Amino acid sequence: MSTPAAEHAPGRARDGSIAARARGLTKAYGSGETTVLALDSVDVDIARGRFTAVMGPSGSGKSTLMHCLAGLDSVSAGQVWLGDTEITGLKDRELTRLRRDRIGFMFQSFNLIPTLTAAENITLPMDIAGRRPDETWLDQVIDTLGLRGRLTHRPSQLSGGQQQRVACARALASRPELIFADEPTGNLDSRAGLEVLGFLRRAVDDLGQSVVMVTHDPGAAAHSDLVLFLGDGRIVDRMEQPTADAVLERMKAFDVVRGRLGDDSTAQEG
Amino acid sequence: MLKATLRSFLAHKGRLALSALAVVLSVAFVAGSLIFSDTVTRTFDRLFASTSADVTLEPKQDLRSPRTAGAVQTVPAALTDRVAKVEGVAAAHADVSVENVVVVDSHDKSVGPTTGAPTIATSWYVTHRSPVKLTSGHAPRGAGEALLDADTADKKHVRIGDPLTVQAQPGTFRVRVVGIATFTTTNPGAALVFLDPAVAARELLGSADRATSISVDAAKGVTDAELKRRVGKAIGTGTYDLKTAGEQAKSAAATLGGFLDVIKYVMLGFAGIAVLVGVFLIVNTFSMLIAQRTRELGLLRALGADRRQVRRSVLTEAVLLGVAGSTLGLAAGIGLAFGLIRLMSAFGMNLKATEMVIGWGTPVAAYAVGVGVTFVAAYLPARRAAAVPPMAALVDAEVAGVGKPLKVRAIVGSVVGAAGAAALAGCAAATKTASAASLLGLGVVLTLIATVIAGPLLVRPVIRVLGGAFPALFGSVGRMSQRNALRNPRRTGATAAALMVGLALVGGMSVASASMSASFDQRIDKTLGADFVIQNGSFLPFTKEITDKVRGTEGVRLVVRQRFAPVAVRLPDGERVKTTATGYDPHVDDVAHLTYTAGNSAAALADGGLGMDADFAEDHGVRLGSTLPVEFPGGHRAEMRVGALTDQGTGDGFGMQGGLFFGIGTAEKYVPGGQDAALYVKRAAGTGADLLRSRLERTLKPYPQVQVRDQADYKKLVHDQIAVLLYLVYALLGLAIVIAVLGVVNTLALSVVERTREIGLLRAIGLSRRQLRRMIRLESVVIAVFGAVLGLALGLVWGVCTQQVLALQGMTALAFPWGTIVAVVIGSALVGIVAALLPALRASRMNVLAAIAHE
Repeated sequence: MSTPAAEHAPGRARDGSIAARARGLTKAYGSGETTVLALDSVDVDIARGRFTAVMGPSGSGKSTLMHCLAGLDSVSAGQVWLGDTEITGLKDRELTRLRRDRIGFMFQSFNLIPTLTAAENITLPMDIAGRRPDETWLDQVIDTLGLRGRLTHRPSQLSGGQQQRVACARALASRPELIFADEPTGNLDSRAGLEVLGFLRRAVDDLGQSVVMVTHDPGAAAHSDLVLFLGDGRIVDRMEQPTADAVLERMKAFDVVRGRLGDDSTAQEG
Repeated sequence: MLKATLRSFLAHKGRLALSALAVVLSVAFVAGSLIFSDTVTRTFDRLFASTSADVTLEPKQDLRSPRTAGAVQTVPAALTDRVAKVEGVAAAHADVSVENVVVVDSHDKSVGPTTGAPTIATSWYVTHRSPVKLTSGHAPRGAGEALLDADTADKKHVRIGDPLTVQAQPGTFRVRVVGIATFTTTNPGAALVFLDPAVAARELLGSADRATSISVDAAKGVTDAELKRRVGKAIGTGTYDLKTAGEQAKSAAATLGGFLDVIKYVMLGFAGIAVLVGVFLIVNTFSMLIAQRTRELGLLRALGADRRQVRRSVLTEAVLLGVAGSTLGLAAGIGLAFGLIRLMSAFGMNLKATEMVIGWGTPVAAYAVGVGVTFVAAYLPARRAAAVPPMAALVDAEVAGVGKPLKVRAIVGSVVGAAGAAALAGCAAATKTASAASLLGLGVVLTLIATVIAGPLLVRPVIRVLGGAFPALFGSVGRMSQRNALRNPRRTGATAAALMVGLALVGGMSVASASMSASFDQRIDKTLGADFVIQNGSFLPFTKEITDKVRGTEGVRLVVRQRFAPVAVRLPDGERVKTTATGYDPHVDDVAHLTYTAGNSAAALADGGLGMDADFAEDHGVRLGSTLPVEFPGGHRAEMRVGALTDQGTGDGFGMQGGLFFGIGTAEKYVPGGQDAALYVKRAAGTGADLLRSRLERTLKPYPQVQVRDQADYKKLVHDQIAVLLYLVYALLGLAIVIAVLGVVNTLALSVVERTREIGLLRAIGLSRRQLRRMIRLESVVIAVFGAVLGLALGLVWGVCTQQVLALQGMTALAFPWGTIVAVVIGSALVGIVAALLPALRASRMNVLAAIAHE
């Protein structure tokens, strides 16, 4: 699996080191009677150099988990580390710098700045930081994602799949410690979706990148090394080396449990 | 539908508030100026109605111009008895009242008003019509006693017992203040000195047998008009003017109100600017509101609302805005008028704020302006709203107007622009002032319209250049702000247009005034041969004692007097021109370098001789040697022979049409009692300029009304007078900028809302708050500077064309106020920064997650 490029990547080895960690991570919305716990004392370790998928039905807190791990959202209780840095308690300025320098993002849609070309979008985090990109690395990322011919195009001149590839390239370009991908294939047709998942997989395998992907699509989750299942704000299960069928089965069980739990609570209240 | 309209109006009240402010400002200036002038008119009408006699008899006023000529026209006092005998006359009284005096206190300081209002010396005669009453001391009895009005006494710290020196036309005399008279009516701002009637006639008019007017009271049952008719029949109407109380009040108020008209026009100028700039703001606001609501409007259409209903809904919003803005504007206008009235009293004119007059015309005009402007400005956006198709509800619509081609604008803009350019070119090439000025006006309007229409087309090329250095200077933040400004050229163009209009006016006027200053400098350099000019800052004539004293000063070689005389001249082409002629001493060529195209000064200044501007002479068929009938005040007539034609290049300025001049002897002969308006002094060989200057200043110390000026001082005097115009321009600029800033704030605020997701993304991938604020600030700066550059470019063209018109009046120098231009560009960048403050703060405070999730 090892390629020369992988030697560039920081901490790529699957040596069991941790890219991100949360202990007792709790996120509550509202207060008093109407408090809703989006995350309920979650403990999680994101392994370095692996492709981790976070799954769960809508409302399970999977997006909130990602936002809290990425320093986009504040936590109500608990601690979060990125590598060795505790990010809970950091000020906005420090969080911004952290996101800029150490984290890469891919969102479901609206990933690119419409006024900038593909090339400018890819290097944007480094431009903002005032750093020069590593040209050889940049070339490799661009070629890997097949964007060479699209660099001068504006987002509006690119297809959805191409746009997500540009977003992927941006996330990879600054070689962050961790890439967060929030439903990166949600808006794509299946072929383009598969392409993007393939790139994320190669980023982990060939480039040694660490990736956390939030998804509700079992097929997408099957591309990961490890699936974490979230339900009602807790991690309820995990699955190594998932297949699409296994994940789907697990999710079905999830719905049954959830349905039964719902019945129970109704019964208790009744 | 009305409910939906109201909801939408209230939902957008924040954004509408900015437009409302523009309406408020324009309405406030309209209402304020109307209230102020109504109040002033009412106050003066009342003042003069209560102080005017039933009928007043005065000298014929056909050629009267007492303030520049310095002479006072009189009637014989003996006429009073004849008038008194007319049937229906209860009483007749000879009055003496002159304005050609200067009153000086014991420290050689004038007690007169500094505002340009007159000092009036008059006879103390108490009637029920007197505007003042004696409040302390006693009435003046015999020579050497005087009353002073209380306001002047207060302001100039004069007390009973203090000596005053009165410099009157016949001669200077000294008085002691024996009493203080207080105004019972509005004090129009003048300084009043009252003398014993016999003393007044002797000292002020030079003869106890003269009077300046005769007041006639009607007997019971005789109307003013009837009385006027009877008096006229008895003494004849050829020599004298008769006025009823009403007529007298009107003409007195008109004379006094002249300078108040200036205030009125200035205020209306402000209102005009506010309306002009406000229109852009309102159009822009409604366009943006509609762009923002495209889907909502599409939904309304899909649900069955027809186009007319949509349009009406938008227009109803506009009317609501107009009504709200006008109401607030009316209130602000009352405040403004109140402030002006207070300001006037600081200048010595005691208008009473409690007697503020709000005529029915004021609210009508206020609402007509406010609602009318808003309605007209909202009409185009409303039509655009009506054109939104029902499909817009379903499509994920991009902001309306972004993608639409600007072809129509390009065509209309070029056509109007070409017409405007042609008019301006015609103006520059024209040789007649009148046609050049009207072409200039046409050209200015057309080029302004063309620039506004074509503005969005200029956005791309100009901002590419203006923001060209941004990526290099500010990295990706700079790049994004430049491209954001280019994103919606219509919106950027319309936003910048508001700033452009104001700056174009400023640019044009500052070029014109700089050129005027430079031209005057040139002319002063070229023509002024005197070492010193002794005159009054406002060109008012002065007592002949000053002339005598200057002549007697050691080291003075030559003094040439200048004196103005009102004349009417009948020209060979049949036209009768009323103008002001100038009388000079011989040796005028030593102090002024005139260019003679025919004849010479000796012939022009000789007895019965006349000089004239060569162009004027040509236009009216006058040749060297022509003999012209000239009329002087008081019915004097003379046949005068043209002895010189000069190339003065002055044209028609300052009521001096034709540039007529003659010997000072002619002025003395036909306008007896005239006073000198300026003295041109040449120093004797061997006397240094500084030495002579200090001697002259010492000599003239008791005469605060005149100053000694050399060439440099003289230029400064002219510059200062032109600067007054500039201050007005800067004030207009200030107002235009305030409104333009509102427009930029409006546009940026909307852009920030529209780009919420983009801002969220930028923040997520690591753009700091400071960088985000900088990005918005730079966009704002580039829009503002774009407006400034466009405006100044247009203004410079206007200025150059204006100078071409002025050149026909002899102001041939063209000057560009580069300092002002650079300052305006820098200032506009600051304006951009200020305008970006709130939108940038709002953007940087956005919650990143909410922004990402924003629909």
